[in-house]
Amino acid sequence: MRAITTCVDRIARAGVWLGGALILLAVVLIGIDVVLRKLFSASIGGADELAGYALAIGTAWALAAALLDRAHIRIDSLYLLLPAPLRTFCDLLGLALFVGFFALVGWHGIGVVQQSWASGSRSQSALEIPVVVPQLLWAIGLGTFVVIGAVLFLTAVGRLLAGDRAGAGRLIGTRSAQEEIEEDLQAAEARRMPASGR
Amino acid sequence: MIPVTLLILLALLAAAVPVAAALGVLGLALGEIYARFPLSLAMGELAWSTSNSFLLVAIPFFVLLGEILLRSGMAERMYAALVQWMPWLPGGLMHSNIVACALFAATSGSSVATAATIGTVALGEVERRGYNERLFLGTIAAGGTLGILIPPSINMIVYGVLTETSIPQLYLAGLLPGVVLALLFSLTVLVACLLRPGLDGTRIETSWEGRRRSLPDLVPPLFIFIAVIGSIYAGLATATESAALGVLAALAVAAWRRSLTLAVVREAIEGTMRTTAMIMAILIAAYFLNFVITSIGLTAQVNNYVTSLGLSPMGLLIAVVVFYLILGMFMETLSMMVATVPIIAPLMINAGFDPVWLGVLIVVLMETAMITPPVGINLYVVQGLRKRGRIDDVIIGTAPFVLTMLLMIAVLIFWPDIALWLPRSASR
Repeated sequence: MRAITTCVDRIARAGVWLGGALILLAVVLIGIDVVLRKLFSASIGGADELAGYALAIGTAWALAAALLDRAHIRIDSLYLLLPAPLRTFCDLLGLALFVGFFALVGWHGIGVVQQSWASGSRSQSALEIPVVVPQLLWAIGLGTFVVIGAVLFLTAVGRLLAGDRAGAGRLIGTRSAQEEIEEDLQAAEARRMPASGR
Repeated sequence: MIPVTLLILLALLAAAVPVAAALGVLGLALGEIYARFPLSLAMGELAWSTSNSFLLVAIPFFVLLGEILLRSGMAERMYAALVQWMPWLPGGLMHSNIVACALFAATSGSSVATAATIGTVALGEVERRGYNERLFLGTIAAGGTLGILIPPSINMIVYGVLTETSIPQLYLAGLLPGVVLALLFSLTVLVACLLRPGLDGTRIETSWEGRRRSLPDLVPPLFIFIAVIGSIYAGLATATESAALGVLAALAVAAWRRSLTLAVVREAIEGTMRTTAMIMAILIAAYFLNFVITSIGLTAQVNNYVTSLGLSPMGLLIAVVVFYLILGMFMETLSMMVATVPIIAPLMINAGFDPVWLGVLIVVLMETAMITPPVGINLYVVQGLRKRGRIDDVIIGTAPFVLTMLLMIAVLIFWPDIALWLPRSASR
């Protein structure tokens, strides 16, 4: 189990790098384009298009890392007032719906790829890129996200079955709730310490 | 149709379902219940076209810009310089906080980044100078919100994309209200310190020599502002391109300050992609939802319903302001904008309000939402930086500025030219 978790973590991290590199590349490309346009009235042509692809592919590949870091926004005003078992249920439900929704997006995304492949459509800019290439990279990113999301869900369920609710909360709880848990743990430890004589 | 939609949305959000999933699932559910043909078939095409939209590319660029600036040391020097220039007002450093926020906002598209950066730099001074901690924290939480009003602004980009309003026009429209709001914040500090001198702290030694030497430290923020905003109005760059220029300018500043290390770039990229993925997930789901609610005729129904109420434009406006003030207490601002603007903006524009002016009004309402409890992101940011005490201190210290914000909303309503004068004179 641990091996899988590490592996998933690495893939997510690599996804962030891929996405970040693409965005940085887009920055440089656009910078060059603006300068060329001003000074030489020339243009690379299609820098905007490539930047768009960078955003799409980068987003798809970074979704998983954001999920593992619990960066996707949840509104937890009510959630924080709920008893722990209900909170855990909300965590699992939210995760399932999030991954499920993007699984559906990815599924229909494959349809988009197939259509572009069948029609052999190319972008309308001077680059005339076969759009199936960026679309495929995007769809694979979404697919990877779904797999990682599913692994995360199963890991959390595994921890719950093993009776480790705090551990599951660290994986899929909201950030503020987790901080509370840690505070509780620290408080518990502080209380225990004098008793154990340390 | 309207009650069912609200019920599903509220249930999902209350269960702390991630906002992106809540919007997406709502779209699927509404399509399932009300559509005559399966709308989910359009999902792939919609997701792809949203994901590679060139306008939205500005979002990762501005996030990256903020991440680099946060680590470049620019803010420390800028703050130290501002401290030299404004010690004489009652309220001292608290004015520096607000001006530093306003200046930083001119390089940053995000309120969280603004409050976090200035807060990191300023918080050490509270105890050293004996200021009233609550009010001091309030100036940072409230001043930070200027991030999205003074251009550049991620929220204005999102508004512009959702309503097909010109982003350069929105930027121009935000500039003057941003300056006025900063002045009103300063005035709030001034009044508070005159009424209760105990709130104030001790002064810092300043000299004309120190002031002169501090001037170069104000150049980097100016340089970035000119790269981002100047390039748009000089006709050199589009809104997205200007954001890329801003990133390059920030990299240059960081390199000049010798703070551009591999570790900095790595951290900046990680933070950027995390935030980008989070925002884009919400936007992808929101676009799908918008497609569904338009297809099933919900937008038209809301329109008819509101028309049937027979509200005057002013009545409608007040209803919208109250709606956002209440919703803003409980919702994160970007999610709130994405979920509501597609329905509210057409209503308001039909009623005769200017889309650019409405954009500025909504951004000011979002700023208010960032400092109204229980859910106010800037309150959390400042409390997070402080690492001690209770969040109540931040909430109480920020409360006077919420009133200032309401005053600003009134100013915008009764004097719309404050937003529209600049864009109008620029387009002439």
